[in-house]
Amino acid sequence: MGKRPAWRREWSVTALLFATMAVVGAVNHAFLRPANLRDMLIDDVPTVIVACGMTLVIVTGEIDISVGSLMGLLATVLGELTSPSHAGLPVAAAIAAVLLLGAGVGLINGLLVTFARMPSIIVTLAMLTILQGIGLILMNGAWITDMPAGLRYFGVGRMFGVPISLWTAAAVVALFMLLASRTPLGRRIWAVGSNPEAARLAGLSARNMKLFAFIMTGLLTAVATIVSVPRLGVIEAGVGQGFELLVVTCVVVGGTSISGGRGTVLGSVLAALLLGAVGNMLIFLHLGLSATYWERAIQGVFILAAVLADHLARRRPRLQTRMQASREAQA
Amino acid sequence: MSDQAIALKREADPTRQTLSRQEIVLLALLICLLAVAWHLSPSFLSPSAQIELSTHIWGLAVIALPMTLVIMTAGIDLSVGSIMSLCGVVFGLAFQSKIPIGASAFLALLVGAAAGALNGVFVAYVRVHPLIVTLATLAAYQGVAVGISQARPFSGFPASFTALGQGSVFGFPVPGLIFLLALALTATLLVCTPLGLSLSAIGYNETAARYSGLAVSRIKLWLYTASGLAAGVAALLFCALRNTAKADIGTGMELQAITAVVLGGTSIFGGRGSLLGTVLGLLLVHEAREFVSWQFNRDELNLIVIGALLLLSVLSDGLFSARGRRSSQ
Repeated sequence: MGKRPAWRREWSVTALLFATMAVVGAVNHAFLRPANLRDMLIDDVPTVIVACGMTLVIVTGEIDISVGSLMGLLATVLGELTSPSHAGLPVAAAIAAVLLLGAGVGLINGLLVTFARMPSIIVTLAMLTILQGIGLILMNGAWITDMPAGLRYFGVGRMFGVPISLWTAAAVVALFMLLASRTPLGRRIWAVGSNPEAARLAGLSARNMKLFAFIMTGLLTAVATIVSVPRLGVIEAGVGQGFELLVVTCVVVGGTSISGGRGTVLGSVLAALLLGAVGNMLIFLHLGLSATYWERAIQGVFILAAVLADHLARRRPRLQTRMQASREAQA
Repeated sequence: MSDQAIALKREADPTRQTLSRQEIVLLALLICLLAVAWHLSPSFLSPSAQIELSTHIWGLAVIALPMTLVIMTAGIDLSVGSIMSLCGVVFGLAFQSKIPIGASAFLALLVGAAAGALNGVFVAYVRVHPLIVTLATLAAYQGVAVGISQARPFSGFPASFTALGQGSVFGFPVPGLIFLLALALTATLLVCTPLGLSLSAIGYNETAARYSGLAVSRIKLWLYTASGLAAGVAALLFCALRNTAKADIGTGMELQAITAVVLGGTSIFGGRGSLLGTVLGLLLVHEAREFVSWQFNRDELNLIVIGALLLLSVLSDGLFSARGRRSSQ
């Protein structure tokens, strides 16, 4: 029963995605060239990966706005551990450390939310500031440019002709879709979000589900960092800035309710692709250099329109029942 | 239920005479901080240094006032930073196209209020979750600011305008006077009108507030409009202080304002809030930030200190408050 509106949302997001691509493609055929589509997909990889975890967090009724600065910190750590001019550790060790660090930050967020009973928006807001500070101190105003080839491989390498980052994103998405729909764990997470009281009476631990969601989000942020940051040859302090808002936006546009309980992983992934296409389209519309400055405005207006349209479509029946209820109460 | 009503009366009453636990904790932290500062570097506490450093906080302080009221209604406004950028850019563009400086400033304030009102319409009348509305307008307003300015900076404002940010009256900085004026206005509204109790009522239980005849939607619309207007004032103060306007002047402002408000003991779930707490929260954030910069010469350390302060103060509130324990179950 709870699944139907989200199912519809996936169709509307897909339709919008194809409409956008068709319109931009009609203006400029280069937009639909396989090379550009591939580049757009690669650009979307970090958002898609982290959106899978964020969907779980938001479905349990919480939020995590620390992923952007976590990504910045992890990028710095990854660069400083592997670069020969800093620590020069083996790539495998550095990757293990980054995965651990990501999951660890997720664990701290989760523990503060579940055991210290602090609102998640405050916990992750504080974490956002703290991680940003640590990242800036570690970076010390410098750039890291000498990443070893073994690390660059995760950003630019290919397997069977397809970039590693795309394989990783596909695996993460498949895993989380299966987790959500085919495992008891997934059903419990959705149950905890949609009706906490009933879930508690049924003996489900909301704490453990939330803890799991936060740890997964931290871990996925680490995965996203590993496959996206080494793509460019340089790591600077600005990595991940504003990323948290982008990911939350994708999850919301993808049909997940901000108050929890409803939403799908696929919806978030499709929304990430849609927002990526919208962000990319201005370059292809032949509007001149000055038009590219409007990229974020168009993205913002687009998000606003999408959220509003969906909200209105969903609101109407409920409003009617409420008016009916108040009429009955008066009678 | 009666429990909640009592809590409402005791905690939300803006006229109450006693300090809340959170305010006492903040005062204690502030005194500790100042004691350490006095011990390590007495010159930090000299009036001239304090007045010089205070220039950094006034814009944020003005934004934090309406933010307190918004959060009391269980709302949030993430778009204030973007509105601030937008107002700065509008002001710069208007001034550049030879509109008189006063009219340019008025236009910027108008744009700020309109941007806030747009948030308010979506939140209050379309009834979309404020987090989602302001998340979307955060991107939209920032984008419009970058778009209309083409990411160019504006500068060269006349001295009559920069006096607004850099001048002082009897040694007290003008932006500080503007903040005190805004503070007095907000406090008067809370104390002399039923607004404070209405805000708490909306925050605790919006449906009940509607049924008991409060004009919930109208109040919310005005709150978000005030929030946008405050962001406009902050933009003008920034432009006057730095003599420059650019599309990124407000970036990150929203999170700093929310930090100060939450630090001050206003509940992010709505209902419980205090203007005095916000002022103390602002003071603590400001002094901690400036002292760390002063002593260690590292601006990045600020971020860690503020994040830790936020965690500690909310953690102590949650652990020691029986109400927090009960409400989270």
